[in-house]
Amino acid sequence: MDSVNIVLCIIAAAALDLCVLVVLITAYREKKSAGKKWSEISMDMELAEQGMTYQLGCDEVLIGRHASADIRLPDLSVSRYHAILTVSEGKWTIKDMGSKSGLFINGSMVKEAVLNENDVITLGNRRLIFRKRGHERVR
Amino acid sequence: MYANPIAFGFSSFFVLIAHIAMLFNVYINGNYKDARDVVVLGAAVIIIDIAYFAVILFFKQTTYALDFLLILILNISFIFQSCFGEVGFNAKHLITCIACIVSCKAGFVICRNHKLLHSRKKLIYGLTAVILLITLMVTLIKKDMWIYIGKFTIQPSEFIKPLFVLACATSIEDQQKKHKILFMNVVYENITLLVLTAAICLVQVKSHDYGSLPTFLGIFSVGFLLRICYPKAKFSKKKLLAVIGIIIVFVLIGLKYAPDYVQHRLHVDIWSDKTGDGYQQSKALIAIANGGWLGLGPGKGFLSNIFAYDNDIVFATISEEWGLLFALMAVLAIIIITAIPLINPARSYYHGTISACICAAFIIQMALNIFGSCNLIPFTGVTIPFLSSGGSSLMVSGFMVGMLMATQSPSFIEPKHKKQEPSVPAWRWQE
Repeated sequence: MDSVNIVLCIIAAAALDLCVLVVLITAYREKKSAGKKWSEISMDMELAEQGMTYQLGCDEVLIGRHASADIRLPDLSVSRYHAILTVSEGKWTIKDMGSKSGLFINGSMVKEAVLNENDVITLGNRRLIFRKRGHERVR
Repeated sequence: MYANPIAFGFSSFFVLIAHIAMLFNVYINGNYKDARDVVVLGAAVIIIDIAYFAVILFFKQTTYALDFLLILILNISFIFQSCFGEVGFNAKHLITCIACIVSCKAGFVICRNHKLLHSRKKLIYGLTAVILLITLMVTLIKKDMWIYIGKFTIQPSEFIKPLFVLACATSIEDQQKKHKILFMNVVYENITLLVLTAAICLVQVKSHDYGSLPTFLGIFSVGFLLRICYPKAKFSKKKLLAVIGIIIVFVLIGLKYAPDYVQHRLHVDIWSDKTGDGYQQSKALIAIANGGWLGLGPGKGFLSNIFAYDNDIVFATISEEWGLLFALMAVLAIIIITAIPLINPARSYYHGTISACICAAFIIQMALNIFGSCNLIPFTGVTIPFLSSGGSSLMVSGFMVGMLMATQSPSFIEPKHKKQEPSVPAWRWQE
């Protein structure tokens, strides 16, 4: 192989390398778009309690006392896996996972309920507020 | 419309540049009789590129990075396959590449809504059982793994892979449905998956497709580990050790009762058995050494005269003609495909499991092929996704990339047929 051919081979390999790099940068840029899309789907909601906020970053959010729960509430009145939150096109639903102390939404005991903004969720002795991200409690 | 038009433009441009640079290399260094062969090959590659960039805009996706990587690697594969031995136009591989793109988009559309998929779990198990039955029947009746349709061959067992990945995927809610059997809390879905895995392994052993076994076991291991260590992949050491232990036992039993030719391959010294079981591997290693870093030139290698040069030892054939540097770059592009879910993680546990299982399948297949060619592990005859020829392999790999795309651009819509439970107070519900 003469030197011109070697240079051509290296250029071909470099072009492929550069292309992969550009696609990787594109993937990082698309991460922002995916984040915005998720905000639309989840309506940018969060759970809050005294000085603490919990982000709802995926479509199944497990709330409980267990260390592997997404939202961990270290309180003996809360079951290990107490309730699960699921989302479907902007509509969040909470479901009781067979807890001992029950699930209360705005004071009413429920097995499954669709959540609205500023609903108060009671799990054992803990009270969480379902609200827009960054908003203080309205009522 | 795509949210990042600049990124779209740049990515399309660089994919085109990468292919044009390769084609220019073929024109200058390639082994061809007529320059028109290179022109026809180049025109086909560029037309497919531009057509794909136009088509993907009709699909409403949040991310397109996987699309760019797919078309990049598919056309690279088309150029490689057209150049092996002598530069020409590999129409068969072109058709399978187009079939791969179509199955990719089908995978994307089917797997986008995981809630819908989840409600069709029984159908997925049923389809897997039907394909298993077809594989078993083909093995028993024809004593072969393939179904021949004209010039094309179909390997039914390949189509089990995406269905098995879907069977492995689950939701957190389902993993909470535990039932007490004796002293253990078990999830029925996990037992079903275990039975399905055992059935797949038995059929694979019966059809002498030992090469695919590690891929299925890999998919199962990743899927099962994610199931029992949910939701934050908080690995339980005991469970991890139990799964590893089960796999080791499976492998040891498999090795103990494997046929003689498999056991011989495990211990063969390829240099003292160059005309027997070590034939392909010894030729592959010589070819890699001959090619060096920059290769002999497209179409100038001798490995294209060896059996299975375009699928089982494709890594060595690419290394010989294009150089080890380029072969490693092509492999890197496939690894990047599996790394995309790390950049933009799935928003649902179901899709997360799918991503992990698919990445495991791709990595294991590549490792088996490349390390097998280089005599680091026994030779298996497994294909490298996208680079190897083979209709079933390409279609299934395309479908699995479509599934990965679905995990990147998911939709969260409840299936229409799902019975909505009324939100009533618990005391009334309990009555």
